[in-house]
Amino acid sequence: MRHRLGYWIAHINVLAICAVLLSAFAVQFLGRELPCPLCILQRMAMLLCALGPAYILLRSRAGSVEARDFATGYGLSVVAAVAGSIIAARQVLLHIVPPDPGFGEPVLGLHLYTWSLIIFGAVLAVSGLNLIFIREMVPQDFGSTRTTTLVLALLALVVLANALAVFFEEGLHWTLPDNPTHYQLFDDLASHQ
Amino acid sequence: MDTIIFIAIFATFLAMSRRQRWLALGLFFVCLIAVLMLFYHHATSQLPLNF
Repeated sequence: MRHRLGYWIAHINVLAICAVLLSAFAVQFLGRELPCPLCILQRMAMLLCALGPAYILLRSRAGSVEARDFATGYGLSVVAAVAGSIIAARQVLLHIVPPDPGFGEPVLGLHLYTWSLIIFGAVLAVSGLNLIFIREMVPQDFGSTRTTTLVLALLALVVLANALAVFFEEGLHWTLPDNPTHYQLFDDLASHQ
Repeated sequence: MDTIIFIAIFATFLAMSRRQRWLALGLFFVCLIAVLMLFYHHATSQLPLNF
């Protein structure tokens, strides 16, 4: 069991980030709130954070995970989380001065970018703990490869869904507007007809 | 640009699944640099905020 702990924690890390990004989709599609450019950048950073534990899971499917692979995976997460924290902190600071109401509706009392900063902090803490206890955490025994495949497939779907959603929002432009109000692709297609 | 970065993240995932370590690491850092450059673009653009 001890030799599987790091293996299962990697699954939980990927699933937690997928759950956060699916919640962001719920706010986008059910709450009808379009994500701003900084929100999209934070989604990208979160996906890069998830690629760290995903790297470890992909290695485990091949049959062996060495300490080097484990350190590479969580090292990638740390680097991505630092970048994500900078972006989230920038957005928090943009809206910190009263009477700015903040961007979008708060969820459980905090705006999404504040939650994002907390999540990047959590990713840093979890990655750090995994690296501190690397000898105990490097998986030497693997559980169900089917579970791993499902978790990795979910991550792949979340990446592709984000690509599609941002394509509709951005349309045929290089960057998103600062305050998006509609899906630009529909306008672009209509103007070309 | 945003769509391209998401596709690059997916490509990184595919490279990782093919166990191409250096390609995966290279693509990861390309994505990261692209994210930071896009952030720089947005961070230095003037925001027309009204409140």
